[in-house]
Amino acid sequence: MIDPAKALMLFGIIAAVAALFFLPKIGLVARWKRARRGMQRVLIEDALKHIFDCEYKNIHCTTESIAGTLLIPTDQAAELLTRLAVMGLLSTGDNGVHLTADGRSYALRVIRVHRLWERYLADETSVPATEWHASAELAEHTLTAAQTEALAAQIGNPHFDPHGDPIPTTSGEIPPKVGRSLLSLHSGEFAVVTHIEDEPETVFAQLTAQGLHVGMQVMMIERNNDRVRFAANGEEIVLAPLLANNLTVAPMTEEEQRITAPLSPLTTLSVGQEAHVLSISKAMRGHQRRRLMDLGVVPGTMIRAEMTSASGDPTAYSIRGALVALRRQHAEMIYIKKD
Amino acid sequence: MKNETRQTNGTDAILSTANTLRWEIGDNIHDTLVESIYTDAQRIAARTVTVPESRPAFSFDRQLDRLITSRWFGFPLMFLMLAVVFWLTVEGANVPSAMIASLLVDTVHPWLRGAFSVLGSPWWFTGLMVDGVWLAMAWVISVMLPPMAIFFPLFTLLEDFGYLPRVAFNMDSLFRRAGAHGKQSLSMTMGFGCNAAGVVATRIIDSPRERLIAIITNNFSLCNGRWPTQILIASIFFGALVPAHLAGLATAGAVVAVAMLGIFFTLAVSWGLSNTVLKGEASAFSLELPPYRPPQLWQTLYTSLIDRTAIVLWRAIVFAAPAGAVIWLVSNIHIGELSLAEHFINNADPFGILLGLNGVILLAYIIAIPANEIVIPTVLMLTVLSAKLTGVGDGAGVMFELDDASGVADVLRAGGWTMLTGLNLMLFSLLHNPCSTTIYTIYKETKSVKWTAVATVLPVLMGLVVCFLVAQVYRLLA
Amino acid sequence: MTMNTQTHAANCEDCPVHNLGNLKKLGINMAEFDFVVALAGNPNTGKSTVFNALTGLRQHTGNWPGKTVTRAEGGFVYGAKRFKLVDLPGTYSLLSTSTDEEVARDFILFGQPDVTVIVVDATRLERNLNLVLQVLEITDRAVLCLNLMDEAKRHGITVDARALARDLGIPVVAASARQEEGIPELLKYIYEVATGTYVCRPHRLERTAPHLERALTELTRRISAEFPEIPNARWIALRLLEGDQKIIDAVRNGELRSLIRRTPIRQNEPMVNEGAV
Repeated sequence: MIDPAKALMLFGIIAAVAALFFLPKIGLVARWKRARRGMQRVLIEDALKHIFDCEYKNIHCTTESIAGTLLIPTDQAAELLTRLAVMGLLSTGDNGVHLTADGRSYALRVIRVHRLWERYLADETSVPATEWHASAELAEHTLTAAQTEALAAQIGNPHFDPHGDPIPTTSGEIPPKVGRSLLSLHSGEFAVVTHIEDEPETVFAQLTAQGLHVGMQVMMIERNNDRVRFAANGEEIVLAPLLANNLTVAPMTEEEQRITAPLSPLTTLSVGQEAHVLSISKAMRGHQRRRLMDLGVVPGTMIRAEMTSASGDPTAYSIRGALVALRRQHAEMIYIKKD
Repeated sequence: MKNETRQTNGTDAILSTANTLRWEIGDNIHDTLVESIYTDAQRIAARTVTVPESRPAFSFDRQLDRLITSRWFGFPLMFLMLAVVFWLTVEGANVPSAMIASLLVDTVHPWLRGAFSVLGSPWWFTGLMVDGVWLAMAWVISVMLPPMAIFFPLFTLLEDFGYLPRVAFNMDSLFRRAGAHGKQSLSMTMGFGCNAAGVVATRIIDSPRERLIAIITNNFSLCNGRWPTQILIASIFFGALVPAHLAGLATAGAVVAVAMLGIFFTLAVSWGLSNTVLKGEASAFSLELPPYRPPQLWQTLYTSLIDRTAIVLWRAIVFAAPAGAVIWLVSNIHIGELSLAEHFINNADPFGILLGLNGVILLAYIIAIPANEIVIPTVLMLTVLSAKLTGVGDGAGVMFELDDASGVADVLRAGGWTMLTGLNLMLFSLLHNPCSTTIYTIYKETKSVKWTAVATVLPVLMGLVVCFLVAQVYRLLA
Repeated sequence: MTMNTQTHAANCEDCPVHNLGNLKKLGINMAEFDFVVALAGNPNTGKSTVFNALTGLRQHTGNWPGKTVTRAEGGFVYGAKRFKLVDLPGTYSLLSTSTDEEVARDFILFGQPDVTVIVVDATRLERNLNLVLQVLEITDRAVLCLNLMDEAKRHGITVDARALARDLGIPVVAASARQEEGIPELLKYIYEVATGTYVCRPHRLERTAPHLERALTELTRRISAEFPEIPNARWIALRLLEGDQKIIDAVRNGELRSLIRRTPIRQNEPMVNEGAV
């Protein structure tokens, strides 16, 4: 029989080798998957996407900006542009590069997968917001057309991604860009966040860390060259203008109620108290949001905290005569008005 | 044809209009719609329902809820309730189990043998059908039916009363931390009765990710088919460590420890799955606590009994019967001097012993995949066969059980079992692949070969690793 | 065209109106039955008690084809007609995307049951009405079973069943299925609605938000023009605006065309011209 100490040592070695291969993020398999990103097809698709983005936003697109976005040297970017032109996806005019009809439809296909995937992650999974973009960058190059359509069908053919960007249809339709920068609001003006730019990633992470999300109501308090001070759903937020510029807003409709004071979440209700539901945060998405509304949590609903679980969370609320348990993380996203 | 073209154009126009309109109306149509429905509902209800000003009648429910979910009484009450259910199951099943066994094994089995020989059946056919197929079915029915017929009606009664959703409510924070749903505590508890039933019970979890977690981890609940193995082995190897009057306590302690270990693995594996492979699966939480209602006693007992009997009989015929045939065949087909079983046992013994088990156990767990409850009879038969013991058992391929634990202990010790073998058998009985009924059920519920494979292979791998580590550490210390 | 036979069926006053072809696809065998009745309701409303009270022991359970959702089927005879009762999964809504809701929704929409019995908990009517109003958007043949009246009485809650029936436009039966109270009336109304003696005027959502309403009207108009026979164009429009793939497919592949208007045609109304489709 093998000596137990030796057997344990052998086991340790095998476990270490397995870890080397399969650990998430730092394992060899994960590295290999990331390395595939550098492939030619990926570069072509990323370049098309970038050029489309420039045209959509009406900004000028250069070899340098492509090199910067794709993280490749400028000469390689120039080479790539030539290749795209040869493939008939690009035409070079006097004022920079333009997508041909083919190039545009190719770009839209890639963008469709990207945004659908982000929407899927946001609505249906527990993947955090900061990882959506990176995951979609992988998915957009790997999903087949059939897989994409199946995904779209599964999540109800959404028209907008979680950042507020429109998702192109299968036939390549996309509505024109609407909305304006948060910076264009004057003091005291109300608006709704319609889009949060998800690139660069660090900026997006800072914005999400502030609790900002699409659908939030904002009111400009003051802005100058150093900082922008505004209320988001009633809470004050201060951002550098450069960051604030990544938020796009649209005017509010007349019917919507203006939020003037900080919103109080359902978690502030103690057992025995009751209140009216004011709104459900747009950060609560997908299936969870629909389920909650099915159970009767809609603006105006009277809600009463009945009891807390023996372990402290969840809490059971009486909603339209039924007793419904809500986890704290979800109750925090329901805003109430105590009478 | 012309007609059809027109139709297609018409439908395309509808769909493209819908698309354009969707860009215009934006993303919150669902919210708007549900709000309008509830506005109407509220208006209708206001016109038709009158509720008393003060709500004293609700207080009984609320009082009971306060007790059941209270910080101090909530958990003790839950453990007490579960303990009573298990006690009723184990104690209540003993008598009917023994009765069914004495009927099917002690009476019908010899009679069948007689009948077969009168009809002139060759010895191998009698052996295959009567000793193999019939005995396996008889065992499964006698071990499985009584506890199932007691456990599940009790469970249904608790559910109908409204208690179980409160258990999910109390347990949720534990399961939330593991990335799972509080209702998994219910499917997990059902698994203590039968893993296949536990897997079906995960239907109450309406979020795909949490349901998948509950399905994959259900096997870590020690099912009725495994309790007898645990109790027997614990009484032989742990009960014997302490003075006679404490033996029962030591046995119960060891079995409960294994069951607790199972709960620990359930949570740990749930956590692991939800943070790795299942991170990208859909997830949501909803839990309604229905009002307390008196359960419908007789109807529940009746339908539960019919259901469970049907399931056990189906399982005995579909899964246990072929297993019985295989068990008989491997013990009676010889290559050279030895039977297939002995060849396997001899070859697998070194590996088995490295894991702190032995070749007999490995073979028993392979051929008893269809039904965990025949593991012990198979182990006994194979031990007698491979250790060439005389004076016990009924011959090659005939599974048997002994009436007293000391008899079993003698056979096992003669087969080279030590304290370590007993301990690791208990661990391996907790951590191995689900029985074939459960595997089949998992496939039917998930419709996915991938997840069925994960649910099958993951526990065996864990079992092998845990047994291996325990064996090495035990040997280092001993 | 397959439609013709169904149009024929709709032309007689007390004929069944369920959709035989679609029912077959949904795994329902109607060989020995005249009418099919669906049983819908929220979870915990005593729906299975109502089911048992209606069918007794004549029932069996299985799964919906291709789904891991339990289905119970049973039968009963009333007024010399044989009814098949199909228990739909208990759901809070028909709008979300869970399998249970999909199964329930598809059965009511495509199976076109002769009657849909909606079981509600009298003590939580407001919450239950969410499902009721959604069902009434799809079908115009329904009976409301106001169950657990005994519990409501214990809690001092009263429900005006007549006012409710007026508001919803369908028969309402106050019942305590556990005590078998109200079951005879329920049977009677099921029979009357199935045979067309009772014609429902179901409540439909009056209005939604203005911006949605415009889109909805526009799309409903187009759908009615293309599919003049379907009884729930507005609801189909709503589903299309929500991007419901199943409905998009049904529009595209013409499955929607198999649905027929199910209000019995009274004698003085013109017969449907078979050649005009």
